[in-house]
Amino acid sequence: MPTRRSVLLSSIGVLAAPGLAFAQPRAREVRVGMAQDALTLDPANHRNRETETIIRNMMDGVLTRDADMRIVPEIAESFRQVDAKTWEFRVRQGIRFHSGDALTAADIKFTFDRLVKDGAMGGQTSPRKGLLGPLEDTVMADDRTVRMVLSDPWPILPAMLPFQEVVNRRQVERVGQEGMQTRPDGCGPFKLAEWRRGEAVIMERFAEYYGGSTEIPVAGPAQIDRAIFRVMPENSARIAALLAGEVDIISELPASAMRQVEASRNAQVMKVNGTRTFFVSLNNAKAPFNDVRVRRALNHALDKAAIISRILAGTATPLRGVMSPDAFAFNPDIPEYAHDLARARALLAEAGVAQGTEMVIDTTAALKEIAEAIAALLSRTGLRVRAQIWEGAVLGPMWQNAERRRERDMFLTSWGNGALDPSDIMVPVLRTGGRGNSAGFSNAEVDRLLDAAETEADQGRRADMYKRAQAIVTEQAPWIFLWLPQDIYGVARRVQNWRPQADSRINLHRVRLA
Amino acid sequence: MSVSRLLERLLQTLPVLLGVSLIVFLMITLTPGDPVEIMLADSRATPEQAAQLRADLGLDRPLPERFLVFLGNALTGDFGISFFHRRPVWDVIAERLPATIELTLAAILLAIAVAIPLGVIAAVKRDTWIDRTLTAVSLFGVSLPGFWFGILLILLFAVQLGIFPVGGRTSFDLEVTRVTGFLVLDSIIAGRADALLAALRHLALPAITLGLPTAALLARVVRSSMAEVLTSDYVLFAEAKGLSHRRVLLRHALKNALIPVVTVAAIETGSLLGGNMIVETVFGWPGLGRLVVESIFARNYPLVQAAVLLYAVTYVMLNFTADLLYTALNPKVRL
Repeated sequence: MPTRRSVLLSSIGVLAAPGLAFAQPRAREVRVGMAQDALTLDPANHRNRETETIIRNMMDGVLTRDADMRIVPEIAESFRQVDAKTWEFRVRQGIRFHSGDALTAADIKFTFDRLVKDGAMGGQTSPRKGLLGPLEDTVMADDRTVRMVLSDPWPILPAMLPFQEVVNRRQVERVGQEGMQTRPDGCGPFKLAEWRRGEAVIMERFAEYYGGSTEIPVAGPAQIDRAIFRVMPENSARIAALLAGEVDIISELPASAMRQVEASRNAQVMKVNGTRTFFVSLNNAKAPFNDVRVRRALNHALDKAAIISRILAGTATPLRGVMSPDAFAFNPDIPEYAHDLARARALLAEAGVAQGTEMVIDTTAALKEIAEAIAALLSRTGLRVRAQIWEGAVLGPMWQNAERRRERDMFLTSWGNGALDPSDIMVPVLRTGGRGNSAGFSNAEVDRLLDAAETEADQGRRADMYKRAQAIVTEQAPWIFLWLPQDIYGVARRVQNWRPQADSRINLHRVRLA
Repeated sequence: MSVSRLLERLLQTLPVLLGVSLIVFLMITLTPGDPVEIMLADSRATPEQAAQLRADLGLDRPLPERFLVFLGNALTGDFGISFFHRRPVWDVIAERLPATIELTLAAILLAIAVAIPLGVIAAVKRDTWIDRTLTAVSLFGVSLPGFWFGILLILLFAVQLGIFPVGGRTSFDLEVTRVTGFLVLDSIIAGRADALLAALRHLALPAITLGLPTAALLARVVRSSMAEVLTSDYVLFAEAKGLSHRRVLLRHALKNALIPVVTVAAIETGSLLGGNMIVETVFGWPGLGRLVVESIFARNYPLVQAAVLLYAVTYVMLNFTADLLYTALNPKVRL
């Protein structure tokens, strides 16, 4: 007869025995460790990057971007600008949704009407409407052609279309708005197998996939059988899962963990320039920041290179102005505010700012270390700068409001530019009264250039206007210009034909396993 | 205990729940940060769209009215719509609740299983090196930060040894029909040994992380309670009658020594239910704790209110049950 002890020992053995299975490579399955779950699987009902990343593997868009951020047709076969306010898209034939329904021009019209028409989602308006700017109407020219009609010229329409996925009109009729939250029907490379809320989205290969964009090599059905987006909110646990072989791709790898990942046999670090510009907003309406000499002095005072190498482990590109070097119309000829403490002190003295003047940098807990380093480096000029940590829910809205930020000094923050186009960042954060203009910057010439560029159809002329605006902004120094962080990924070595993208998409359309 | 006394005790819990609801409502609504501004962050919404959203969410109405509406709806089990999920709050909570309860029960059972033998040994061997070692270990256990301990367990058992998985509730290639939402139970109902094994393996590390500090606390309670009982007259008398030491210990002493343990264990169960956010985050456990933390940061008022009310009800009910058990275990105690 088994004793109690032997039963106990054998049950521990049973629990532990098949354990090694976790570390063994899984057949043709790629797992991605995500910090957050999808909020919904309806591509029209969210404003969330992780949700979009997950959905994008089940649903394709009219246009997409390759890993070099080139805008290429996906469901569209080709596209062209008809006039300043009209764009035409020719739809590929033979595309099927996961349900078996054929994709037609009517589905594209339906998708965009649902996104931009007020109350089109069962009385509710899509929270993504704002991402389509002045798109007013989508009309079917014939069975294979749709035209997008804008109320105002908007040259960045193609840059904004990769953010939207096409839904099946008949599926929305079948399952209703509510059903769309959990039962998507896309035409992407993977179809939904199961959504374990808070835990994972499990997808299976869609064998009848049309192949995606013909302009990205290896067009065809997915080369893996399953894709799993697994929710792992804690950084250390995500890294552990990568090292243990439980997941294949993790995003948001902390710079401090890069060496650990590189040292492991089965994983490597991959980096890509992100699209988020970091800066310290200076309260341009308040003394002494209303004096351009003070703003320039602060730019000269900060040793950016020291922070990038010591805190960010070299994983950021220093910026002289607002735009990413990868973006459309980036101006490479802007002069730099070189690190020069003597010059900074002289400018401050010239502006009459006394030694020992106190200044506060507002920021959130996530940027505490950087804010403290900036404060310490700026204090070398003789100013007394300190960091104050706030909760994001309080800080952002406070700095967006001219009245509420009246007494504040500086704000360490960032702005994402997923479209990699000045219109997507300069207009909101630098145009007078822009919704993200926390510095309260206002320059008539910059406003004029930005407005003119918004409606300019000639891309060359448009680029020139933005370049001129960038030069003025750097000269006027409404911010302390900082850097563009790289996005860092940990990737299993068995994952092939995949690399990170600046827009932080994790597209598994073409991934292979060694 | 009479039925009327029982009812009276139950009614006494009502003001507590009302008070908790009011405090939570005031705390979350008066905390700076506007859910509409958070939801529309980085978007191109016009002030009119923001106002429309505010009206849709009922946030344009005065505070007292909002509280009364919340209370009225709560009585009928309607907690409103979760701002971010755009689904009924109760649906969102109900999805996550079984995972949290399952983890809590596993942790508390583990804690009790570890604490009772250790506490008894320490009490019997009190003031010896064994007692002192166990006391020191339990002090260490009580002070363990769950976050750090969880990561250590993951590094050792998942990364180095590959015995247990890093996180999640079960393997991705297993699917069990959801009946109760408790994976262990559902696997048994479905008669699936593989699913049961997978569920237990995934449960192991989070349950140990959550349960060990509680085990340490309970062991200290068992030790002091047992030490006191062991010096009492009836134990001396039982030994004088010539009963075996083991029989005296287990049949006579332990039963009485466990009375305070029951209370502490019940209260601890309440704390574990509401306090496992960190462990759920570390292990990617799809439970309620994580959902509540995310909701607090997003100022998702309806979900936070409903969840805290749920925690309060559970806590009050567990205390009430502990009192009932107390009277059952010790007839001298009255409600």
